[in-house]
Amino acid sequence: MLAGTVWQRELVEFAQRRRALVIKLVFPLLVAVPLVLSNVPAVYAATTLTMLVAIIGPLGAGAVLTRERQNGLVLRYRTLPVTPGRLLIERLGTNAAIDFLQVLPVLALIALRHPGQFAWWPALLLSVAGVLLIGNLMGAVASTLSDSPGEVMLYVIIPLLPLLYLAGVFTPLTQPALLVVSRLLPFSYLHESLLGALGGQPNLLPWETLLGGFGFLVGAAGLTGRLGRRVLESD
Amino acid sequence: MKVDTASEPSLLSAVALSRSYRGGKGVFDVTLKLAPGEVLGLMGPNGSGKTTLLRVLATAAAPTAGRVAWFGNANRRDPSVRRRLGIMLDQAAHFDQMTGYQNAWFFARQYGVPRILAAERLEELLRWCGLWDARDQLVREYSLGMRRKLNLVEALVHRPAILLLDEPTLALDYRAELDLIERLRLLTLTGIGVVLATNDVHLAERICDYVVFLHQGRAIREGRPPELLTELAGSKEVQLQVNSPVGLENLRSLPEVQAATVEGDTVHIILARGANPAQVLAVLNGTADLVSNMRVRRPNLGDLFLKLTGVALPAEPK
Repeated sequence: MLAGTVWQRELVEFAQRRRALVIKLVFPLLVAVPLVLSNVPAVYAATTLTMLVAIIGPLGAGAVLTRERQNGLVLRYRTLPVTPGRLLIERLGTNAAIDFLQVLPVLALIALRHPGQFAWWPALLLSVAGVLLIGNLMGAVASTLSDSPGEVMLYVIIPLLPLLYLAGVFTPLTQPALLVVSRLLPFSYLHESLLGALGGQPNLLPWETLLGGFGFLVGAAGLTGRLGRRVLESD
Repeated sequence: MKVDTASEPSLLSAVALSRSYRGGKGVFDVTLKLAPGEVLGLMGPNGSGKTTLLRVLATAAAPTAGRVAWFGNANRRDPSVRRRLGIMLDQAAHFDQMTGYQNAWFFARQYGVPRILAAERLEELLRWCGLWDARDQLVREYSLGMRRKLNLVEALVHRPAILLLDEPTLALDYRAELDLIERLRLLTLTGIGVVLATNDVHLAERICDYVVFLHQGRAIREGRPPELLTELAGSKEVQLQVNSPVGLENLRSLPEVQAATVEGDTVHIILARGANPAQVLAVLNGTADLVSNMRVRRPNLGDLFLKLTGVALPAEPK
Protein backbone atom coordinates (compact mmCIF):
# COMPACT_ATOMS: atom_id res chain seq x y z
CA MET A 1 0.00 0.00 0.00
CA LEU A 2 1.37 3.38 -1.00
CA ALA A 3 0.25 6.66 0.53
CA GLY A 4 0.67 9.99 -1.18
CA THR A 5 -1.31 12.17 1.20
CA VAL A 6 -1.11 12.77 4.92
CA TRP A 7 -4.45 11.12 5.66
CA GLN A 8 -3.61 8.08 3.50
CA ARG A 9 -0.29 7.75 5.28
CA GLU A 10 -2.01 7.74 8.66
CA LEU A 11 -4.28 4.92 7.52
CA VAL A 12 -1.49 2.88 5.92
CA GLU A 13 0.71 3.13 8.99
CA PHE A 14 -2.18 2.21 11.26
CA ALA A 15 -3.16 -0.77 9.10
CA GLN A 16 0.44 -2.04 9.16
CA ARG A 17 0.62 -2.01 12.94
CA ARG A 18 -1.44 -5.15 13.49
CA ARG A 19 -0.76 -5.59 17.18
CA ALA A 20 -1.70 -2.00 17.91
CA LEU A 21 -4.78 -2.45 15.72
CA VAL A 22 -6.01 -5.44 17.75
CA ILE A 23 -5.30 -3.75 21.10
CA LYS A 24 -7.03 -0.57 19.95
CA LEU A 25 -10.17 -2.48 18.95
CA VAL A 26 -10.32 -4.85 21.90
CA PHE A 27 -9.55 -2.39 24.70
CA PRO A 28 -12.82 -0.37 24.57
CA LEU A 29 -14.83 -3.58 24.33
CA LEU A 30 -13.19 -4.92 27.47
CA VAL A 31 -14.44 -1.87 29.32
CA ALA A 32 -17.83 -1.64 27.62
CA VAL A 33 -19.06 -5.23 27.49
CA PRO A 34 -19.59 -5.66 31.27
CA LEU A 35 -21.11 -2.20 31.51
CA VAL A 36 -23.56 -2.54 28.65
CA LEU A 37 -24.55 -6.18 29.04
CA SER A 38 -24.98 -6.22 32.84
CA ASN A 39 -27.54 -4.37 34.89
CA VAL A 40 -25.24 -1.51 35.83
CA PRO A 41 -27.31 1.68 36.22
CA ALA A 42 -27.22 3.76 33.03
CA VAL A 43 -25.72 6.74 34.86
CA TYR A 44 -22.59 4.79 35.87
CA ALA A 45 -22.21 3.20 32.46
CA ALA A 46 -22.54 6.61 30.79
CA THR A 47 -19.95 8.14 33.12
CA THR A 48 -17.41 5.39 32.45
CA LEU A 49 -17.97 5.39 28.70
CA THR A 50 -17.73 9.20 28.52
CA MET A 51 -14.38 9.02 30.30
CA LEU A 52 -13.25 6.27 27.95
CA VAL A 53 -14.12 8.26 24.80
CA ALA A 54 -12.70 11.47 26.25
CA ILE A 55 -9.37 9.88 27.04
CA ILE A 56 -8.76 7.89 23.83
CA GLY A 57 -8.09 10.87 21.56
CA PRO A 58 -5.70 12.98 23.63
CA LEU A 59 -3.56 10.10 24.84
CA GLY A 60 -3.04 8.70 21.34
CA ALA A 61 -2.39 12.01 19.59
CA GLY A 62 -0.23 13.32 22.42
CA ALA A 63 2.04 10.29 22.47
CA VAL A 64 2.37 10.00 18.68
CA LEU A 65 3.10 13.68 18.10
CA THR A 66 5.61 13.79 20.96
CA ARG A 67 7.46 10.86 19.43
CA GLU A 68 7.40 12.52 16.01
CA ARG A 69 8.69 15.76 17.51
CA GLN A 70 11.58 13.85 19.03
CA ASN A 71 12.61 12.01 15.87
CA GLY A 72 12.45 15.10 13.67
CA LEU A 73 9.28 14.32 11.74
CA VAL A 74 7.44 17.41 12.95
CA LEU A 75 10.37 19.50 11.70
CA ARG A 76 10.24 17.71 8.37
CA TYR A 77 6.47 18.31 8.19
CA ARG A 78 7.15 22.03 8.42
CA THR A 79 9.08 21.97 5.18
CA LEU A 80 6.37 20.22 3.15
CA PRO A 81 4.47 22.29 0.59
CA VAL A 82 1.27 22.01 2.65
CA THR A 83 -0.19 24.59 5.02
CA PRO A 84 0.13 23.66 8.71
CA GLY A 85 -3.62 24.00 9.20
CA ARG A 86 -4.46 21.57 6.42
CA LEU A 87 -1.78 19.19 7.59
CA LEU A 88 -3.08 19.15 11.16
CA ILE A 89 -6.68 18.73 10.04
CA GLU A 90 -5.70 15.79 7.84
CA ARG A 91 -3.67 14.19 10.62
CA LEU A 92 -6.05 14.70 13.52
CA GLY A 93 -9.14 14.13 11.38
CA THR A 94 -7.79 10.74 10.31
CA ASN A 95 -6.72 9.88 13.84
CA ALA A 96 -10.16 10.82 15.14
CA ALA A 97 -11.75 8.69 12.41
CA ILE A 98 -9.57 5.74 13.47
CA ASP A 99 -10.54 6.36 17.09
CA PHE A 100 -14.17 6.45 15.98
CA LEU A 101 -13.77 3.00 14.40
CA GLN A 102 -12.30 1.88 17.70
CA VAL A 103 -15.40 3.05 19.57
CA LEU A 104 -17.88 1.85 16.95
CA PRO A 105 -18.21 -1.73 18.30
CA VAL A 106 -19.11 -0.23 21.70
CA LEU A 107 -21.77 1.96 20.09
CA ALA A 108 -23.10 -1.05 18.17
CA LEU A 109 -23.29 -2.98 21.42
CA ILE A 110 -25.31 -0.18 23.03
CA ALA A 111 -27.64 -0.08 20.03
CA LEU A 112 -28.19 -3.84 20.19
CA ARG A 113 -28.81 -3.80 23.95
CA HIS A 114 -31.16 -0.79 23.85
CA PRO A 115 -32.77 -0.81 20.39
CA GLY A 116 -35.68 1.33 21.58
CA GLN A 117 -33.43 4.35 22.18
CA PHE A 118 -32.70 4.88 18.47
CA ALA A 119 -33.71 8.55 18.73
CA TRP A 120 -30.41 9.13 20.54
CA TRP A 121 -28.16 7.44 18.00
CA PRO A 122 -27.54 10.39 15.66
CA ALA A 123 -26.71 12.61 18.65
CA LEU A 124 -24.49 9.89 20.09
CA LEU A 125 -22.55 9.46 16.84
CA LEU A 126 -22.00 13.20 16.43
CA SER A 127 -21.03 13.85 20.03
CA VAL A 128 -18.58 10.92 20.01
CA ALA A 129 -17.00 12.29 16.82
CA GLY A 130 -16.79 15.80 18.29
CA VAL A 131 -15.20 14.63 21.55
CA LEU A 132 -12.70 12.45 19.70
CA LEU A 133 -11.58 15.32 17.46
CA ILE A 134 -11.31 17.72 20.39
CA GLY A 135 -9.42 15.06 22.34
CA ASN A 136 -6.95 14.65 19.49
CA LEU A 137 -6.49 18.41 19.38
CA MET A 138 -5.87 18.49 23.15
CA GLY A 139 -3.23 15.80 22.74
CA ALA A 140 -1.60 17.69 19.85
CA VAL A 141 -1.40 20.91 21.87
CA ALA A 142 -0.09 19.01 24.91
CA SER A 143 2.65 17.48 22.73
CA THR A 144 4.16 20.95 22.31
CA LEU A 145 4.69 21.28 26.07
CA SER A 146 7.12 18.44 26.66
CA ASP A 147 9.49 16.00 24.97
CA SER A 148 8.40 13.14 27.19
CA PRO A 149 5.33 11.08 26.19
CA GLY A 150 4.68 10.29 29.87
CA GLU A 151 4.69 13.96 30.78
CA VAL A 152 2.40 14.75 27.86
CA MET A 153 -0.12 12.22 29.19
CA LEU A 154 -0.02 14.08 32.47
CA TYR A 155 -0.65 17.40 30.69
CA VAL A 156 -3.67 15.80 29.06
CA ILE A 157 -5.17 14.19 32.16
CA ILE A 158 -4.73 17.19 34.46
CA PRO A 159 -7.14 19.49 32.58
CA LEU A 160 -9.37 16.64 31.42
CA LEU A 161 -10.57 15.54 34.85
CA PRO A 162 -11.86 18.96 36.02
CA LEU A 163 -13.41 19.50 32.59
CA LEU A 164 -15.28 16.21 32.92
CA TYR A 165 -16.46 17.29 36.37
CA LEU A 166 -17.61 20.67 35.05
CA ALA A 167 -19.45 18.89 32.24
CA GLY A 168 -21.53 17.08 34.85
CA VAL A 169 -20.10 13.67 34.01
CA PHE A 170 -19.27 12.66 37.59
CA THR A 171 -22.18 14.20 39.43
CA PRO A 172 -25.42 15.91 38.35
CA LEU A 173 -25.06 19.70 38.37
CA THR A 174 -27.83 21.72 39.98
CA GLN A 175 -26.42 25.25 40.25
CA PRO A 176 -27.49 27.36 37.26
CA ALA A 177 -23.99 28.77 36.71
CA LEU A 178 -22.43 25.30 36.60
CA LEU A 179 -25.20 24.12 34.29
CA VAL A 180 -24.33 26.91 31.85
CA VAL A 181 -20.65 25.99 32.07
CA SER A 182 -21.45 22.34 31.41
CA ARG A 183 -23.27 23.24 28.20
CA LEU A 184 -20.06 24.91 26.97
CA LEU A 185 -18.18 21.63 27.19
CA PRO A 186 -18.47 18.84 24.60
CA PHE A 187 -18.35 16.09 27.21
CA SER A 188 -21.77 17.07 28.57
CA TYR A 189 -23.43 16.33 25.21
CA LEU A 190 -21.61 13.02 24.95
CA HIS A 191 -22.67 12.13 28.47
CA GLU A 192 -26.27 13.12 27.84
CA SER A 193 -26.50 11.16 24.60
CA LEU A 194 -24.91 8.10 26.23
CA LEU A 195 -27.41 8.37 29.08
CA GLY A 196 -30.22 8.54 26.55
CA ALA A 197 -28.92 5.67 24.43
CA LEU A 198 -28.42 3.49 27.52
CA GLY A 199 -31.98 4.04 28.65
CA GLY A 200 -31.21 6.51 31.43
CA GLN A 201 -32.78 9.88 32.16
CA PRO A 202 -30.86 12.66 30.44
CA ASN A 203 -31.57 16.34 31.04
CA LEU A 204 -31.50 17.28 27.36
CA LEU A 205 -33.68 16.24 24.45
CA PRO A 206 -32.15 14.23 21.58
CA TRP A 207 -32.24 17.17 19.16
CA GLU A 208 -30.54 19.47 21.68
CA THR A 209 -27.76 16.95 22.15
CA LEU A 210 -27.53 16.46 18.39
CA LEU A 211 -27.12 20.22 17.92
CA GLY A 212 -24.49 20.42 20.66
CA GLY A 213 -22.52 17.47 19.27
CA PHE A 214 -22.65 18.90 15.76
CA GLY A 215 -21.56 22.35 16.96
CA PHE A 216 -18.55 20.97 18.78
CA LEU A 217 -17.57 18.79 15.82
CA VAL A 218 -17.58 21.79 13.45
CA GLY A 219 -15.90 23.99 16.06
CA ALA A 220 -13.18 21.42 16.66
CA ALA A 221 -12.48 21.16 12.93
CA GLY A 222 -12.18 24.95 12.66
CA LEU A 223 -9.99 25.19 15.74
CA THR A 224 -7.72 22.41 14.45
CA GLY A 225 -7.09 24.38 11.27
CA ARG A 226 -6.33 27.54 13.22
CA LEU A 227 -3.96 25.80 15.63
CA GLY A 228 -1.89 24.19 12.86
CA ARG A 229 0.97 26.65 13.18
CA ARG A 230 0.86 26.63 16.96
CA VAL A 231 1.17 22.86 17.09
CA LEU A 232 3.53 22.17 14.20
CA GLU A 233 5.78 25.21 14.36
CA SER A 234 6.49 25.48 18.07
CA ASP A 235 10.05 24.55 19.07
CA MET B 1 29.82 22.49 -18.71
CA LYS B 2 28.37 24.64 -15.99
CA VAL B 3 25.49 26.97 -16.79
CA ASP B 4 26.35 30.62 -17.08
CA THR B 5 25.35 32.06 -13.73
CA ALA B 6 26.59 35.59 -14.18
CA SER B 7 23.34 37.02 -15.47
CA GLU B 8 21.00 34.91 -13.34
CA PRO B 9 19.46 36.04 -10.06
CA SER B 10 20.44 34.19 -6.90
CA LEU B 11 18.48 31.09 -5.98
CA LEU B 12 18.69 31.90 -2.33
CA SER B 13 19.72 34.99 -0.43
CA ALA B 14 19.88 35.81 3.26
CA VAL B 15 20.57 39.29 4.55
CA ALA B 16 21.50 39.95 8.18
CA LEU B 17 19.68 36.76 9.11
CA SER B 18 19.34 35.87 12.78
CA ARG B 19 17.52 33.08 14.52
CA SER B 20 17.95 33.05 18.26
CA TYR B 21 16.79 30.61 20.88
CA ARG B 22 16.34 30.93 24.60
CA GLY B 23 19.72 30.60 26.27
CA GLY B 24 21.38 32.80 23.67
CA LYS B 25 22.10 30.14 21.06
CA GLY B 26 21.31 30.43 17.38
CA VAL B 27 22.72 32.26 14.36
CA PHE B 28 23.27 35.98 14.19
CA ASP B 29 23.61 38.46 11.37
CA VAL B 30 24.48 36.02 8.62
CA THR B 31 24.44 37.21 5.03
CA LEU B 32 24.85 34.77 2.17
CA LYS B 33 23.85 34.14 -1.40
CA LEU B 34 23.53 31.02 -3.53
CA ALA B 35 23.85 31.20 -7.29
CA PRO B 36 22.59 28.53 -9.71
CA GLY B 37 25.08 25.69 -10.04
CA GLU B 38 26.94 26.74 -6.91
CA VAL B 39 27.78 24.63 -3.86
CA LEU B 40 27.86 26.67 -0.67
CA GLY B 41 29.42 25.06 2.38
CA LEU B 42 28.52 25.99 5.95
CA MET B 43 31.33 24.84 8.21
CA GLY B 44 31.70 24.98 11.94
CA PRO B 45 31.92 22.77 15.01
CA ASN B 46 28.85 21.41 16.79
CA GLY B 47 26.84 24.29 18.25
CA SER B 48 28.22 26.82 15.77
CA GLY B 49 24.75 27.42 14.32
CA LYS B 50 24.99 25.63 10.98
CA THR B 51 22.03 23.33 11.64
CA THR B 52 19.95 26.28 12.83
CA LEU B 53 20.91 28.25 9.73
CA LEU B 54 20.08 25.32 7.48
CA ARG B 55 16.70 24.92 9.16
CA VAL B 56 15.89 28.55 8.46
CA LEU B 57 17.03 28.20 4.85
CA ALA B 58 14.93 25.02 4.59
CA THR B 59 11.82 26.97 5.77
CA ALA B 60 11.55 24.81 8.89
CA ALA B 61 12.17 27.81 11.15
CA ALA B 62 11.46 31.50 10.77
CA PRO B 63 14.24 34.03 11.16
CA THR B 64 13.92 36.25 14.24
CA ALA B 65 15.61 39.09 12.33
CA GLY B 66 16.82 39.75 8.81
CA ARG B 67 15.45 38.48 5.54
CA VAL B 68 15.62 35.28 3.54
CA ALA B 69 14.35 34.94 -0.02
CA TRP B 70 14.05 31.85 -2.18
CA PHE B 71 13.90 32.62 -5.90
CA GLY B 72 13.20 36.21 -4.88
CA ASN B 73 10.21 35.17 -2.75
CA ALA B 74 10.47 35.87 0.99
CA ASN B 75 7.34 33.91 1.96
CA ARG B 76 8.72 30.74 3.49
CA ARG B 77 5.29 29.12 3.67
CA ASP B 78 4.60 29.54 -0.03
CA PRO B 79 4.09 26.00 -1.40
CA SER B 80 5.67 27.06 -4.71
CA VAL B 81 8.88 27.83 -2.80
CA ARG B 82 8.87 24.63 -0.79
CA ARG B 83 8.20 22.46 -3.84
CA ARG B 84 11.55 23.59 -5.26
CA LEU B 85 13.60 22.77 -2.16
CA GLY B 86 15.23 19.39 -1.56
CA ILE B 87 15.83 18.97 2.13
CA MET B 88 17.93 16.63 4.22
CA LEU B 89 17.86 17.80 7.82
CA ASP B 90 20.11 16.66 10.65
CA GLN B 91 17.64 14.08 11.95
CA ALA B 92 16.79 11.10 9.73
CA ALA B 93 13.05 11.79 10.04
CA HIS B 94 11.08 8.81 8.79
CA PHE B 95 7.95 6.87 9.50
CA ASP B 96 9.52 3.83 11.13
CA GLN B 97 6.49 1.58 10.71
CA MET B 98 6.54 2.04 6.95
CA THR B 99 8.96 0.62 4.41
CA GLY B 100 11.71 2.64 2.79
CA TYR B 101 9.78 2.72 -0.47
CA GLN B 102 6.57 3.83 1.24
CA ASN B 103 8.45 6.67 2.94
CA ALA B 104 10.10 7.83 -0.27
CA TRP B 105 6.80 7.54 -2.17
CA PHE B 106 5.01 9.67 0.41
CA PHE B 107 7.55 12.48 0.13
CA ALA B 108 7.63 12.26 -3.68
CA ARG B 109 3.86 12.65 -3.84
CA GLN B 110 3.84 15.41 -1.23
CA TYR B 111 6.15 17.40 -3.51
CA GLY B 112 3.78 16.87 -6.42
CA VAL B 113 5.65 14.24 -8.42
CA PRO B 114 3.14 12.37 -10.65
CA ARG B 115 2.76 8.65 -9.92
CA ILE B 116 4.50 7.33 -13.04
CA LEU B 117 7.42 9.69 -12.66
CA ALA B 118 7.66 8.97 -8.94
CA ALA B 119 7.94 5.24 -9.64
CA GLU B 120 10.64 5.76 -12.30
CA ARG B 121 12.70 8.20 -10.26
CA LEU B 122 12.47 6.21 -7.06
CA GLU B 123 13.72 3.10 -8.80
CA GLU B 124 16.64 5.03 -10.28
CA LEU B 125 17.52 6.77 -7.00
CA LEU B 126 17.08 3.72 -4.78
CA ARG B 127 19.29 1.67 -7.12
CA TRP B 128 21.85 4.49 -7.19
CA CYS B 129 22.19 4.60 -3.42
CA GLY B 130 22.01 0.84 -2.96
CA LEU B 131 18.65 0.72 -1.19
CA TRP B 132 16.64 -0.98 -3.95
CA ASP B 133 16.94 -4.44 -2.42
CA ALA B 134 15.95 -3.08 0.99
CA ARG B 135 13.05 -1.00 -0.31
CA ASP B 136 10.37 -3.25 1.19
CA GLN B 137 12.05 -3.41 4.59
CA LEU B 138 10.58 -1.36 7.42
CA VAL B 139 12.63 1.77 8.08
CA ARG B 140 12.94 0.84 11.75
CA GLU B 141 15.16 -2.03 10.57
CA TYR B 142 17.43 0.31 8.59
CA SER B 143 20.90 1.26 9.79
CA LEU B 144 21.74 4.94 10.26
CA GLY B 145 23.61 4.94 6.94
CA MET B 146 20.56 3.51 5.15
CA ARG B 147 18.30 6.10 6.74
CA ARG B 148 20.60 8.89 5.61
CA LYS B 149 20.62 7.48 2.09
CA LEU B 150 16.83 7.38 2.15
CA ASN B 151 16.86 11.04 3.22
CA LEU B 152 18.94 11.80 0.15
CA VAL B 153 16.49 9.96 -2.10
CA GLU B 154 13.61 11.94 -0.58
CA ALA B 155 15.50 15.18 -1.07
CA LEU B 156 16.27 14.45 -4.71
CA VAL B 157 13.13 12.74 -6.01
CA HIS B 158 11.25 15.91 -6.99
CA ARG B 159 14.25 17.43 -8.80
CA PRO B 160 14.56 20.51 -6.61
CA ALA B 161 16.23 23.75 -7.66
CA ILE B 162 17.97 24.11 -4.30
CA LEU B 163 19.35 21.24 -2.24
CA LEU B 164 19.84 21.86 1.48
CA LEU B 165 21.87 19.08 3.05
CA ASP B 166 22.86 18.81 6.69
CA GLU B 167 25.90 16.56 7.16
CA PRO B 168 25.08 14.53 4.03
CA THR B 169 28.07 12.21 4.39
CA LEU B 170 27.36 11.39 8.02
CA ALA B 171 27.28 7.59 8.46
CA LEU B 172 27.96 6.99 4.76
CA ASP B 173 30.72 4.61 3.73
CA TYR B 174 33.53 5.85 1.47
CA ARG B 175 31.96 4.45 -1.71
CA ALA B 176 28.62 6.11 -0.96
CA GLU B 177 30.42 9.37 -0.19
CA LEU B 178 32.16 9.30 -3.57
CA ASP B 179 28.86 8.52 -5.30
CA LEU B 180 27.23 11.45 -3.53
CA ILE B 181 30.00 13.85 -4.54
CA GLU B 182 29.70 12.69 -8.14
CA ARG B 183 25.93 13.09 -8.08
CA LEU B 184 26.12 16.57 -6.58
CA ARG B 185 28.64 17.60 -9.23
CA LEU B 186 26.31 16.41 -11.98
CA LEU B 187 23.36 18.19 -10.40
CA THR B 188 25.20 21.49 -10.16
CA LEU B 189 25.96 21.24 -13.87
CA THR B 190 22.22 21.46 -14.48
CA GLY B 191 22.01 24.67 -12.43
CA ILE B 192 20.91 23.25 -9.08
CA GLY B 193 22.30 25.15 -6.11
CA VAL B 194 23.47 23.22 -3.05
CA VAL B 195 23.85 24.38 0.53
CA LEU B 196 25.87 21.94 2.54
CA ALA B 197 26.35 22.04 6.31
CA THR B 198 29.34 19.90 7.11
CA ASN B 199 32.36 19.29 9.28
CA ASP B 200 33.88 17.15 6.57
CA VAL B 201 36.84 19.23 5.45
CA HIS B 202 37.67 16.96 2.53
CA LEU B 203 34.11 17.05 1.24
CA ALA B 204 34.06 20.82 1.49
CA GLU B 205 37.38 21.20 -0.31
CA ARG B 206 36.35 18.83 -3.06
CA ILE B 207 32.93 20.16 -3.82
CA CYS B 208 32.24 23.59 -2.34
CA ASP B 209 32.57 26.66 -4.53
CA TYR B 210 32.20 28.91 -1.54
CA VAL B 211 32.56 28.31 2.17
CA VAL B 212 31.20 30.17 5.19
CA PHE B 213 32.85 29.48 8.55
CA LEU B 214 30.42 29.69 11.46
CA HIS B 215 31.58 30.09 15.03
CA GLN B 216 29.29 30.73 18.00
CA GLY B 217 26.46 31.56 15.60
CA ARG B 218 28.33 34.12 13.53
CA ALA B 219 29.95 33.99 10.12
CA ILE B 220 33.58 34.66 10.92
CA ARG B 221 35.17 34.13 7.50
CA GLU B 222 33.99 33.23 4.02
CA GLY B 223 35.38 32.79 0.58
CA ARG B 224 36.30 30.34 -2.14
CA PRO B 225 38.34 27.45 -0.67
CA PRO B 226 41.49 28.08 -2.75
CA GLU B 227 41.48 31.74 -1.69
CA LEU B 228 40.92 30.83 1.94
CA LEU B 229 43.73 28.33 1.85
CA THR B 230 46.19 30.97 0.63
CA GLU B 231 46.03 32.33 4.18
CA LEU B 232 47.80 29.19 5.23
CA ALA B 233 50.20 29.03 2.29
CA GLY B 234 53.50 27.58 3.45
CA SER B 235 52.08 26.54 6.80
CA LYS B 236 52.10 22.96 7.98
CA GLU B 237 49.76 20.97 10.15
CA VAL B 238 51.51 18.73 12.66
CA GLN B 239 49.48 15.98 14.30
CA LEU B 240 51.02 14.43 17.37
CA GLN B 241 49.55 11.33 18.89
CA VAL B 242 50.44 11.55 22.56
CA ASN B 243 50.48 9.04 25.39
CA SER B 244 49.74 11.52 28.16
CA PRO B 245 48.28 15.04 28.41
CA VAL B 246 50.32 17.87 26.95
CA GLY B 247 50.31 21.47 28.18
CA LEU B 248 49.19 23.53 25.24
CA GLU B 249 50.34 26.82 26.76
CA ASN B 250 53.99 25.90 26.18
CA LEU B 251 53.26 25.10 22.57
CA ARG B 252 51.19 28.21 21.97
CA SER B 253 53.95 30.39 23.38
CA LEU B 254 56.23 29.37 20.50
CA PRO B 255 56.28 32.05 17.78
CA GLU B 256 56.18 29.32 15.09
CA VAL B 257 52.90 27.92 16.42
CA GLN B 258 49.87 29.67 14.93
CA ALA B 259 47.31 27.47 16.70
CA ALA B 260 47.21 24.36 18.83
CA THR B 261 44.41 22.21 20.13
CA VAL B 262 43.81 18.72 21.47
CA GLU B 263 41.26 16.24 20.18
CA GLY B 264 41.28 12.95 22.08
CA ASP B 265 44.88 11.74 22.15
CA THR B 266 45.89 13.88 19.16
CA VAL B 267 47.43 17.33 19.35
CA HIS B 268 46.85 19.49 16.25
CA ILE B 269 49.38 22.24 15.68
CA ILE B 270 49.47 24.76 12.85
CA LEU B 271 53.04 25.83 12.17
CA ALA B 272 53.90 29.08 10.42
CA ARG B 273 55.73 29.20 7.09
CA GLY B 274 59.29 27.97 7.37
CA ALA B 275 58.90 26.51 10.87
CA ASN B 276 60.54 23.21 11.61
CA PRO B 277 58.35 20.52 13.24
CA ALA B 278 61.40 19.45 15.25
CA GLN B 279 61.13 22.74 17.18
CA VAL B 280 57.78 21.56 18.49
CA LEU B 281 59.19 18.27 19.62
CA ALA B 282 62.00 20.06 21.39
CA VAL B 283 59.47 21.90 23.54
CA LEU B 284 57.88 18.67 24.63
CA ASN B 285 60.36 17.20 27.07
CA GLY B 286 60.81 13.47 26.93
CA THR B 287 59.27 13.19 23.48
CA ALA B 288 60.39 9.64 23.05
CA ASP B 289 57.88 8.51 25.67
CA LEU B 290 55.23 11.15 25.10
CA VAL B 291 54.70 11.11 21.34
CA SER B 292 53.71 7.79 19.82
CA ASN B 293 53.11 9.09 16.30
CA MET B 294 53.70 12.25 14.31
CA ARG B 295 52.28 13.40 10.97
CA VAL B 296 53.07 16.52 9.02
CA ARG B 297 50.75 17.51 6.19
CA ARG B 298 49.54 20.35 4.02
CA PRO B 299 46.95 22.44 5.91
CA ASN B 300 43.28 22.35 4.95
CA LEU B 301 40.13 24.35 5.69
CA GLY B 302 39.88 22.70 9.10
CA ASP B 303 43.31 24.06 9.97
CA LEU B 304 42.29 27.53 8.89
CA PHE B 305 39.26 27.24 11.13
CA LEU B 306 41.51 26.15 13.97
CA LYS B 307 43.82 29.08 13.33
CA LEU B 308 40.92 31.55 13.30
CA THR B 309 39.03 30.25 16.32
CA GLY B 310 41.33 27.98 18.29
CA VAL B 311 38.61 25.32 17.93
CA ALA B 312 39.05 22.17 15.83
CA LEU B 313 36.30 20.97 13.51
CA PRO B 314 35.28 17.56 14.80
CA ALA B 315 35.86 14.63 12.50
CA GLU B 316 32.63 13.15 11.13
CA PRO B 317 31.87 9.70 12.51
CA LYS B 318 31.72 7.10 9.74
